[in-house]
Amino acid sequence: MAQPLVKKDDDRDDEAEYSPFLGIEKGAVLQEARVFNDPQLDARRCSQVITKLLYLLNQGESFTKVEATEVFFSVTKLFQSRDIGLRRMVYLMIKELSPSADEVIIVTSSLMKDMNSKTDMYRANAIRVLCRITDGTLLTQIERYLKQAIVDKNPVVASAALVSGIHILQTNPEIVKRWSNEVQEAVQSRAALVQFHALALLHQIRQNDRLAVSKLVTSLTRGSVRSPLAMCLLIRYTSQVIRESGSNSQTGDRPFYDFLEGCLRHKSEMVIFEAARAITELSGVTSRELTPAITVLQLFLSSSKPVLRFAAVRTLNKVAMTHPMAVTNCNIDMESLISDQNRSIATLAITTLLKTGNESSVDRLMKQITNFMSDIADEFKIVVVEAIRSLCLKFPLKYRALMNFLSNILREEGGFEYKKAIVDSIVILIRDIPDAKESGLLHLCEFIEDCEFTYLSTQILHFLGIEGPKTSDPSKYIRYIYNRVHLENATVRASAVSTLAKFGAVVDSLKPRIFVLLRRCLFDSDDEVRDRATLYLNTLGGDGSVVETEKDVKDFLFGSLDIPLVNLETSLKNYEPSEEPFDINSVPKEVKSQPLTEKKAPGKKPTGLGAPPSGPPSTADAYERLLSSIPEFENFGKLFKSSAPVELTEAETEYAVNVVKHIFDRHVVFQYNCTNTIPEQLLENVSVIVDASDAEEFTEVLSKSLRSLPYDSPGQTFLAFEKPEGLPAVGKFSNILKFIVKEVDTTTGEAEDDGVEDEYQLEDLEVVAADYILKVGVSNFRNEWDNIGPDCERVDEYGLGSRESLSEAVNAVINLLGMQPCEGSEVVPPNSRSHTCLLSGVFIGGVNVLVRLSFGIDGPKEVAMKLAVRSEDESVSDAIHEIVASG
Amino acid sequence: MGLFDSILNWLRSLFFKQEMELSLVGLQNAGKTSLVNAVATGGYSEDMIPTVGFNMRKVTKGNVTIKLWDLGGQRRFRTMWERYCRGVSAILYVVDAADRDSIPVSRSELHDLLTKPSLSGIPLLVLGNKIDKSEALSKQALVDQLGLESITNREVCCYMISCKDSTNIDAVIEWLIKHSKTAK
Repeated sequence: MAQPLVKKDDDRDDEAEYSPFLGIEKGAVLQEARVFNDPQLDARRCSQVITKLLYLLNQGESFTKVEATEVFFSVTKLFQSRDIGLRRMVYLMIKELSPSADEVIIVTSSLMKDMNSKTDMYRANAIRVLCRITDGTLLTQIERYLKQAIVDKNPVVASAALVSGIHILQTNPEIVKRWSNEVQEAVQSRAALVQFHALALLHQIRQNDRLAVSKLVTSLTRGSVRSPLAMCLLIRYTSQVIRESGSNSQTGDRPFYDFLEGCLRHKSEMVIFEAARAITELSGVTSRELTPAITVLQLFLSSSKPVLRFAAVRTLNKVAMTHPMAVTNCNIDMESLISDQNRSIATLAITTLLKTGNESSVDRLMKQITNFMSDIADEFKIVVVEAIRSLCLKFPLKYRALMNFLSNILREEGGFEYKKAIVDSIVILIRDIPDAKESGLLHLCEFIEDCEFTYLSTQILHFLGIEGPKTSDPSKYIRYIYNRVHLENATVRASAVSTLAKFGAVVDSLKPRIFVLLRRCLFDSDDEVRDRATLYLNTLGGDGSVVETEKDVKDFLFGSLDIPLVNLETSLKNYEPSEEPFDINSVPKEVKSQPLTEKKAPGKKPTGLGAPPSGPPSTADAYERLLSSIPEFENFGKLFKSSAPVELTEAETEYAVNVVKHIFDRHVVFQYNCTNTIPEQLLENVSVIVDASDAEEFTEVLSKSLRSLPYDSPGQTFLAFEKPEGLPAVGKFSNILKFIVKEVDTTTGEAEDDGVEDEYQLEDLEVVAADYILKVGVSNFRNEWDNIGPDCERVDEYGLGSRESLSEAVNAVINLLGMQPCEGSEVVPPNSRSHTCLLSGVFIGGVNVLVRLSFGIDGPKEVAMKLAVRSEDESVSDAIHEIVASG
Repeated sequence: MGLFDSILNWLRSLFFKQEMELSLVGLQNAGKTSLVNAVATGGYSEDMIPTVGFNMRKVTKGNVTIKLWDLGGQRRFRTMWERYCRGVSAILYVVDAADRDSIPVSRSELHDLLTKPSLSGIPLLVLGNKIDKSEALSKQALVDQLGLESITNREVCCYMISCKDSTNIDAVIEWLIKHSKTAK
């Protein structure tokens, strides 16, 4: 029995290289560790044993408390050896074991001795270990030595002290901050590593002081940084400063841009890349600023080093999302990367090309891709398929070439995931591009003639059943479907029967012939197939005449099960066999937030076959659960939308409060999340007093205060308002936090009995129109737009006044409406004079809204906008206009 | 003759090189680290910093190499003394003979340590330090107050010393060298 297993192991040993530590066991190594206690130490042997112990630790082996303690104390005995190599292992072992604080203190004195030793290796490592294990009180004792070490002439020692400083800064910032002078001196060090570490520490010390960081960057960008690593850090800090300062809009010049641009000519590739990436990531980067960065990245594309090619293509890939035009210059270099040996590079190159390509280059690109498809692995093929899919949605007119490509690769060899990706893509194209339907369905039909995956066959049959009967000539699909009944396994046969029945139900002229086929299925060897055939024969009428199918039957065949399967499953489990039949209507239909998305776009979501509808974000789920657990809010109905938390306090104040706005049909609930950041205080009876005099349409109906708010454990208080049903009432609310404060003895944690009433002013809160609109995207805006139709369309024009740029105006309107931009239309190409932006969303009351915004900008930056709204309800269309008009 | 003698001594030291391991314990400020310095170099310093953890020192006396584990005397280290006393040739217990208030604590810590089964049979040398001070106890008083008479299952010896004046340090070294021969 064990024979094959052993053989398999042998095979593997031949291939893999032996690790000297292969198969060592913890127990045996712990036994070996006894050599640490020998009176005559063998340093070499001890080093080996420690190496084994470290190996075990790094492999995730855990030592029990007793084992760790035992090993730790015997390792400390090795301090008697003067062997440098062994001492180094001892340092490592102490750091890795990191025993409890009360034990590790035993090595303090020895480490302090080493820290002042003459051997630099001892000093550097002792500093690292000591800083790792030390606590605040001891730190003040050794601070003097650490300060000295920072400016030590040996770079290893200085680096050790600096890196330790970075670690200590997390726990004892006030001590490290006193070292500023020494660290500043180290920044000027000639040793590359010291400069790098010193710069990192200096920045960490100052990171909360924006002005100081800015000064640091200003002084260092004038030169004096030699280490390439430090240069990279400096570039990162510089882009941070640029981000925070915002661009100087008067002259269009950006502070420090010259420095970044200068770095593009640095001799180290690492620095060049870092600078180029920093430039591409500048907010609102102009094409003039981009050009030099793109040029160096383009050079990297043809580098002989894979890492440079990868870095460049990855950065360009990101740039292509926002500035496709800027990347087009690199297209030729990128195309040669499609055949790169490194698959990651090749895949990134393709996806970038697909993003930057225009409609005319699609054909050429497809030829390129076809050539190398057979050379790459399935997982990369899937990436390509997905890119093709989005390309096709972007250029619907090119569907013929792309569909052909998909059907070709569908016929080739490939694994399940790959085939599924292709089939999913074809299905999405069929759904979104009406012209592609007939050819796409035929491709799928051909595929199931020779498909080895039962899952895909059944899914395609199901899809055929829905789409096939609606085509101009449904009968041509019947042959493919009926072939399944002869050739496939029982599961596929059963789905083929269902598909046939659907054709019969919809296409009355086919009904008699379908009946003949279904009757033949009555002799199938499989129960399920026979049962289905019988069922369908009966429901469809059974006499084989050409009659119209009843509506009930159609509902039964095509109607989706509007009950969540999870709920049905639990209900069926709870059902006790009795006289009373199971009532499907008793199954609860509500499942968290799901009905909304389903109602929104039945069958039109960009998910493929059988892909589950993408779940709502879990926060919405959590909010809903939280609110439904509060009995007072029970009769408010279904939660429509919860806003993102809005901060009502500055950062680092005594009490941190943010608010989440929950919108119901007739109510609004404010959820105040409060945190008490003062350890010496306990707050009780916490509530928020709201002055709603600037929000006339709202009436306060309920307040739920928080009984107690101890230090650092967030709590919530709630306020509920009534508002006119279904209307997007807006208003401004001023808030005051009210509470009873009690002093807490921090040593015992007990609060005093008497408290003082106190108030704390919070910032104002606004309920805006965007709170009433859910961001819900649509996959094909044009289809949706046409579906809704012009019945409730409202069009008007607005002047938006003087604006910084077109994209600023676009973003302002998007934020005002709080809707989901579609098809990437929120990105305004640089320097364009006009732009069209498409938005979609769901208005309170569950009404779908689509918005088409056309912007134009003239010479003196005056922006005009045409706003066209379509929805199922004209009052909603009007409401959107009102929002814009009043915003 | 002199040259020949020293060569013979050197050869002898090669062949008869002895090693011994000692642990130095006792309450804080008893003078353990000072004793190590006195034994090693004969030096003395008034301002010592408390030992945090342990110091490891190697001292060569004649043809004997002594490994000294000088352990911190503060309360948090006392539970760890035992780990560094296992398998040593002798335990040196240093007491501040001039600090009469600390003697009872010193006594109980000593007896606690000696009850550990891992340390049974290891010779004990008790050293009453700081006899240069006028208020220092006499040897007999120290032996009585520490209850040394009740320790029966091992060799126990007691010297009164002063690290400051180097009193009796040579006697201690002699005792140690003597025990290095019998130990291993």
